[in-house]
Amino acid sequence: MLSDHEREQFERLLLPHLDAAYGLARWLTRNDEWAEDAVQEAYLRALRYFGSLRGDDGRPWLLGIVRNACFDLLDREHPGSQTEPFDEERHADANMAAGALLVLPVNPEAAAIGRAERQLVRDCLAELPRDFREAIVLRELQGCSYRDIAEITGVPIGTVMSRLARARRLLQGTISQRVKEDTGT
Amino acid sequence: MNCIEVGRLLNAYVDAELALERSLAVEDHVADCARCRAALDGQGALHSALARSCAPERAPDRLRTWVRRVARDTPATKPVRRSKLDWLAAAPGIAALLIVGALLIARPWQPGATAAPEGTRVVYHIASANDIGANLRTLKNHLDAEPRSQVVVVAHNNGIEFLLQGARDESGRAYAEIVRGFRERGVDFRVCTNTLTRRQIDPGTVIREAALVPSGIAEISRLQGKEGYVYLRL
Repeated sequence: MLSDHEREQFERLLLPHLDAAYGLARWLTRNDEWAEDAVQEAYLRALRYFGSLRGDDGRPWLLGIVRNACFDLLDREHPGSQTEPFDEERHADANMAAGALLVLPVNPEAAAIGRAERQLVRDCLAELPRDFREAIVLRELQGCSYRDIAEITGVPIGTVMSRLARARRLLQGTISQRVKEDTGT
Repeated sequence: MNCIEVGRLLNAYVDAELALERSLAVEDHVADCARCRAALDGQGALHSALARSCAPERAPDRLRTWVRRVARDTPATKPVRRSKLDWLAAAPGIAALLIVGALLIARPWQPGATAAPEGTRVVYHIASANDIGANLRTLKNHLDAEPRSQVVVVAHNNGIEFLLQGARDESGRAYAEIVRGFRERGVDFRVCTNTLTRRQIDPGTVIREAALVPSGIAEISRLQGKEGYVYLRL
């Protein structure tokens, strides 16, 4: 049980990060309902282990618990949902520079960025293997520093850097490939 | 700086994670190298495509309400399934009852304040992967003899291995299941995060029946020094 003071701290340090927690959980579970379940579980764990939070920055600590709760939930209740047929050969251009030339947005006449294109980007991100998806979401969507990502995912900073580089390459490759398929070029 | 070095640093450059000196070196190179500039533009295009496509998420209101209530009013309890959440948000009184109810169901065996005096507090320190089976039998015999004992198992060094997902005993039984049995008898299992970090083990692979503590040794010291636990090394 937490003291009143600890409850105040809990509210002050962890409640403001609920949207971030939910966003991460959605991208990791790829399912709204599971994301809510995982976030609930994460906040309960955070309550239970609140004493182990050091310092005043609750965000990386909470997000670390959220990702663990997501993976626990997927392993326990939805095994098999994590098997990801992902063909790197097909998606990733072997050449970094070639892969880097993202085809988006190519055509000014294509009336700004349409809904279909935004959906395409989201689909490609959702299809990335777990570790790479996590790296992109934490850095690009949540704006976490490398140090925070290392804390959240429990890997050294060097691994964060290489994972992120690879994730971006894969994502660029996938998006480019998909755009080519869609436009038949 | 050449293209290979720049390629290696490009992500950190884009993410503003490079020291000033190296940032400037990357910029110098990119100014004169069309290939690296294209790679840099690609990064920028990806970043803006993601920013345009993935709006910041907002947690549903019922989840917000639930988290606030849990933080304020209730002891830590079992999660409530999402299907019940709408309901909970709508009926705060019932919500509190349900949560308290879930707590009672989760721990029906716990003695209340008026029950028999507390048992001895014991912390088991497991630091080796050898003889886990024998150690857990010792723990079982201990609980059989003294069911009211309050036991915490702190796993550290190679002693953490049986608490990782997929670990099985000699007969092929999942340790997670065995640990669950002990949890129901009130035993807490705690894993040393320093050990995980040092051995580069993903904390997500620790079974959910065990909790993470920052340092196994600090936890043992705290239990002994502040909470009056007796120390047993296995």
